[in-house]
Amino acid sequence: MFQVLLEKLFDHIDNWGKFWFGLIFFGSIFNAIAEKSNYFESTPNITVLAFALGGLIGLIAKLRGAWL
Amino acid sequence: MNKLREINSEFSFEKEKAIAKNFSQRFQWEMILIGMGQATVWLSLWPLVLNGYLSLWAGFLLASICACFAYLPSHEAQHGNYSRGNPKRRWLDALVGHYTLITLIYPYEVLRVTHMKHHAYTNDPEKDPDYNNAHAKSLFHVIKNAADGSSTAYEKYLEVFENDKAFVNSYKKGLPVALLFRATLLTLAVLFPLETLLLWWLPAKIGTVYTTVFFSWYPHLGTSTGRYKDTRFWSHWMPRYLNHSMQLHFIHHLHPNIGHYDEPKAIEALKPFLIAREVPGADQIPDRVTFNPLIKT
Repeated sequence: MFQVLLEKLFDHIDNWGKFWFGLIFFGSIFNAIAEKSNYFESTPNITVLAFALGGLIGLIAKLRGAWL
Repeated sequence: MNKLREINSEFSFEKEKAIAKNFSQRFQWEMILIGMGQATVWLSLWPLVLNGYLSLWAGFLLASICACFAYLPSHEAQHGNYSRGNPKRRWLDALVGHYTLITLIYPYEVLRVTHMKHHAYTNDPEKDPDYNNAHAKSLFHVIKNAADGSSTAYEKYLEVFENDKAFVNSYKKGLPVALLFRATLLTLAVLFPLETLLLWWLPAKIGTVYTTVFFSWYPHLGTSTGRYKDTRFWSHWMPRYLNHSMQLHFIHHLHPNIGHYDEPKAIEALKPFLIAREVPGADQIPDRVTFNPLIKT
């Protein structure tokens, strides 16, 4: 049972890993940079935008099959 | 034909192996110290940076240096050069191999089995997992591939070696470790985003690029297949301790159990054998291998 779950998880990561990585990792980084920067102070929903940008980068990487 | 017979008698493989064996027995304490040391320094950066004792940029610099030192100790472990064939000491290979690679965010078992295949099939376009690094179009492509993770996208070798059960089992043993690394990285990115970026993710990328360029690209650039042809001697402006002494990688491919820090002496001793085998650049090997420029080809 555990083996099946693990294999399904690996399959999902193979297919969607780049998207999740973009969303969570790059989204968190962009959000932290935006919070530290005065430039984005007055931008509404900056957290949503930061994570959306991360997710978009991940999605593009998934579709291209490579980050760079 | 006469020449071949001459090589067989005076510079036979058996004699070459006997000399190499003299350099394949010493306990590799320096490499253990570097591997365990860099990973421990790297781990200590986290509390130091998070508690404000060290600036994030200083932490980034130190973490990047640690990442550049991370692969080689694991590489010695991959060849069993700590246990030296003693089953009771295999834990040492595993310990150093796993621990030192935390900085680079790579699972030891995956790197170990793919590296063994690299040795077995060096420069084979289908079977050498490092083929794309050594035969990339340019240095720029090597850096790009290493940075975006394509240089270590080893999944396809599960199909190539699907009939090799030992390979498949060891590879699969590494997957949960890879998953754990990824989950930890993402969790830390949510909790400490900039610290995770500058203490782990970016240094790991720098270390991977550095290792790929000096380990895979330069030593195998323009080489073909065959025991005395798949790696080359080369020179570089860097003092060799800054580029992992990879100008000496040729001897590692001939005799992987020679300890890394014993390679210079081994090359000096094996020089006549390499000249007899007409290894390109072997006649340029100095009588005493120094720090730099070492070997000019």
